[in-house]
Amino acid sequence: MSVHVLGIRHHGPGSARNVKAFLEKTQPDIILVEGPPEGDELLRWSAHSGFKPPIAILAYIPDQPHRAVFYPFAEFSPEWQAIYFGARKNIPVRFMDLPLVHSFALEKKEKPAEDTISSNAFRHAEVTPEVYQDPLRHLAEAAGFNDGERWWEYMFEHRRDDEGVFDAVQEAMQTLRTELPQKDDYVEKLREAYMRKTIRQAEKDGYQNIVVICGAWHAPALVNMPKQKDDNDLLKGLPKVKVETTWIPWTYNRLTYTSGYGAGIKSPGWYEHVWHYPNDDGTRWMAKVAKLFRSRDMDTSTAHIIEAVRLAEALAALRNLSKARLEELNEATLAVLCNGDEILLQLIREQLIVSDTIGQVPHEVPKPPLLQDVEKTQKRLRTPAEAGIKELTLDLREDTQLQRSIFLHRLLLIDVPWAHIMQVRSKGTFKEQWQLKWEPEYSIRIIEKGNWGNTLEEASANYVAAQAKDAPGLQAVCALLEKVIPSDLPKAVQALITQINNLAAATNDVVQLLEALPALVSVSRYGNVRQTDETMVLGIVNSMIARVFVSLPATCVGIDEEAGSKMTEHIYQLNESIILLNQQDQRSEWYTTLRTICNHPNTAPIVSGYSTRILCDAKIVEGEELANRFHFALSRTANTSEAASWLEGFLKGSGTILIIDNRLWTLVDQWVKSLSEADFIALLPLMRRTFSQFSHAERRKIGEKAKKGITDPTATALAPAEDIADVARAMRGIPVIAQLLGINKKGTDQ
Amino acid sequence: MSTLLRQHAEQLFAHELDELRKADTEKRPPNWSLSPQAVVTYILGGKLKNGFEVTPKYIGNRRLIEIAVATLTTDRALLLYGLPGTAKSWVSEHLAAAISGNSTLIVQGTAGTGEEAIRYGWNYARLLAEGPSEKALVETPVMQAMRDGKIARIEELTRIGSDVQDTLITILSEKTMPIPELNTEVQAVKGFNVIATANNRDKGVNELSGALKRRFNTVILPLPDNMDEEIDIVRRRVQSFEKIMELPAEPPAVAEIKRIVTIFRELRSGVTLDGKTKIKVPSGTLSTAEAISVVNSGMAMAAYFGDGSLTAADLAAGIIGAVVKDPVQDKIVWQEYLETVVKPRDEWRDIYRACRDLGI
Repeated sequence: MSVHVLGIRHHGPGSARNVKAFLEKTQPDIILVEGPPEGDELLRWSAHSGFKPPIAILAYIPDQPHRAVFYPFAEFSPEWQAIYFGARKNIPVRFMDLPLVHSFALEKKEKPAEDTISSNAFRHAEVTPEVYQDPLRHLAEAAGFNDGERWWEYMFEHRRDDEGVFDAVQEAMQTLRTELPQKDDYVEKLREAYMRKTIRQAEKDGYQNIVVICGAWHAPALVNMPKQKDDNDLLKGLPKVKVETTWIPWTYNRLTYTSGYGAGIKSPGWYEHVWHYPNDDGTRWMAKVAKLFRSRDMDTSTAHIIEAVRLAEALAALRNLSKARLEELNEATLAVLCNGDEILLQLIREQLIVSDTIGQVPHEVPKPPLLQDVEKTQKRLRTPAEAGIKELTLDLREDTQLQRSIFLHRLLLIDVPWAHIMQVRSKGTFKEQWQLKWEPEYSIRIIEKGNWGNTLEEASANYVAAQAKDAPGLQAVCALLEKVIPSDLPKAVQALITQINNLAAATNDVVQLLEALPALVSVSRYGNVRQTDETMVLGIVNSMIARVFVSLPATCVGIDEEAGSKMTEHIYQLNESIILLNQQDQRSEWYTTLRTICNHPNTAPIVSGYSTRILCDAKIVEGEELANRFHFALSRTANTSEAASWLEGFLKGSGTILIIDNRLWTLVDQWVKSLSEADFIALLPLMRRTFSQFSHAERRKIGEKAKKGITDPTATALAPAEDIADVARAMRGIPVIAQLLGINKKGTDQ
Repeated sequence: MSTLLRQHAEQLFAHELDELRKADTEKRPPNWSLSPQAVVTYILGGKLKNGFEVTPKYIGNRRLIEIAVATLTTDRALLLYGLPGTAKSWVSEHLAAAISGNSTLIVQGTAGTGEEAIRYGWNYARLLAEGPSEKALVETPVMQAMRDGKIARIEELTRIGSDVQDTLITILSEKTMPIPELNTEVQAVKGFNVIATANNRDKGVNELSGALKRRFNTVILPLPDNMDEEIDIVRRRVQSFEKIMELPAEPPAVAEIKRIVTIFRELRSGVTLDGKTKIKVPSGTLSTAEAISVVNSGMAMAAYFGDGSLTAADLAAGIIGAVVKDPVQDKIVWQEYLETVVKPRDEWRDIYRACRDLGI
């Protein structure tokens, strides 16, 4: 009977190759791999042809799914090679790390407060004294390297002859473990004890040829077995929690340091290359680089590749290396292909060295029902999860595309930001543009929402309803409604509308209603494309507007200037909404309300001015009446600043009316002239603020008019001058205009 | 001591090159006087096995020098690219000195550089008297380098007109220089290569053609990464200047150099070192090389007109000369800097006063 302990580096392609070669030579009858024993059940799927690494074992506590751990495997991971070998040859494979039922429970005891996904994913990067941060560093320094990783790469990963490599690793680690001060890490001791326990169990089960695959650091601890009793004592009475596991797809990006997975590697794309082509001298890699450059319209000739490979080899020779590493290849690329410009190297880093690769997990693997539902829908709507950024333009008039849109909106509702919506350039509401980028941790977010329902429809509806219950105010609920409408969840919409109705009835604050309205009105606009029942929303909008009409005039009375200008903004929005809704009764009521506001002597002058303006734009107040109101407002003898404020409200946004209407012009003109010098200076900033909002052309015209003066103060400038028009000539242009507008006039058109 | 104003690198550092050659056990490419590893050591400095200390000639990224040396072992030529004053010519001279033991095969590129300066010219008296013959041929440095298997240097490659630049294509790809008048050619001996320098700040330069670019590997020499590196460079270069000029002045205190480097770095980057104050940027490049020359001229002032120790007054004129390149714009920039940044720094009082005394 024999036990072979193979110390490896996680995700090292050289280690993977050595492991594979060793397994093929030894033909063991059982393989033990460092990993969570809860995943043993999952291993029976590993021979399935639907698997495409990178993938990860996801382990989580069912009632607290946000506490989760990932165990990622790439094709070049030694662990995956061992698992795959076992599955292919029908050799049993077992995980042998400390079961997660214990380690989760231990963690809970140590730090119950912070339980987030990220902190748990870093389980391996525990805080350790500096000597243990990178134990390899000591060996590396002895060999003249400045970095433990690089030394390991040079010594073990890039080595092509693997004779006795595992013995060497074990010996090196043994030395380190004896020389370094004793590490007092309770969890690590437990883990190693459990690994030994698993080995003993395998021996007891009668296996003769056992291969053990573990991180290099643990190798010596598994060879020199202490007494069985000590381990058993250590493992006795550990706390437990319930843990579930499943396979999920992983991405190369998640394997790198930048994205924060502690045991990450900087260059998964390069490792994959090394795994597939261990004997490549850089030629194939440079050819890949050239292909990438050509796809981005950068001229790259074969001669460039030749020269780059040569330079990389020369650099390797200069540094006494037997083979060019990624570093040399990158430097050669920089000097030969990029003309020294680092920016292009960034492209290579993204596309080749890390690369947008996402794994695949077969659908038969048991998963939580919600995750399964999402994956099925992804397949049905042909929107697979992809690691790179993908753009999607949807035409909501087509059924499948509408389905896709609904699907994406629902995912957004349960906080899975796989897609985010972008501004569409073309007009119309039937088009949506999305940007999609899948991250592996979305799986855990979906699982987390599993307690809201087993299908996405159910879960998102329940989740929204729960959110609405806790919503702080009317505006929050309305914003939620806006998000729910495109998700086609009639049940949730119903619930939200009821809640809005209740809140609206209860509130005394008109401002709150005003803030909520724009979102609701835009929702009711969506109705026809989305086939949502718009009348449902419309009813509530109308009742809310009616409430506003009642209490608005009182709200505009006796407020200071700042509140006044905020109120004008609200009135502006409300006016837009009412125009959008286009209901005759409502409009006339609106104008009556505005009239009330204007007529009240204590209305804030800016609000009063703006209300007059709306009435004027709607041709409700015109001619004589308008002039009278103008006169009244500007003639308030006591307070000139009130007059200025009224004028500001009236002229909000545009001053064209001053250019057109000479009567008003004269009124303003006279008012300005009547101001005393002190008043004029005091009001100047205010007036400047009003006029600076106008367009440049408007300001110029107003300036010209002021300079020229006007001759007839009663006439309006744009009196239609009928005598100028040549009717016969004008008629000739009409067919062309009709054609431009797409109007087919009977008789003229054949 | 030599009476020459400035010695070539291979003369000045003859001793170091000798020691390196003795200690060098690595394989040498044909016609190289040192192995590539030894060349890198020569440029970047280091301790030899016998304890001999080689001084660093270039302070900066080791990677860049390794790429440069490795390039010269292949059949691509080397293009050193960067802002003015980033030691391009300096590196090129030392590379040639270390590899071929000869840094003098040099062509200075200008807008007026003609083909005959790169390929070959004619001794017209001989040409008229004897007709075309080998004797009537005037060899250029490039041609000599090809014959002897040495490194030819071309300075300011991008200043040379495009048509003339392209004569290099045959030389670099076929490694031969045809002489149709004599129906013969000069074929390059192993060890021949070209180091060209070019700067990317100048106006009116001629971009390399695609065909020529492909014959060069490009190495961009950057401005020094950090303050300490730059101070180190200035200090070393100033010390070597003292040696050459035999100045009696006291060696400049690092503090003095530090102030100059600070001024230059701040003006170059447009922000004070503590990142708090924004500064206008003057039109000059304010490279490390200029900092070196400011200290050098300050040293000379101190030695000949002062009491031998470097003071702010000795430096002021040099600093202003380096910063104010445009009499109108830069003057405003400098005055602003003086009043807003220099004045509030208590320990900089002397510089402030010295600059104000100069009236600019």
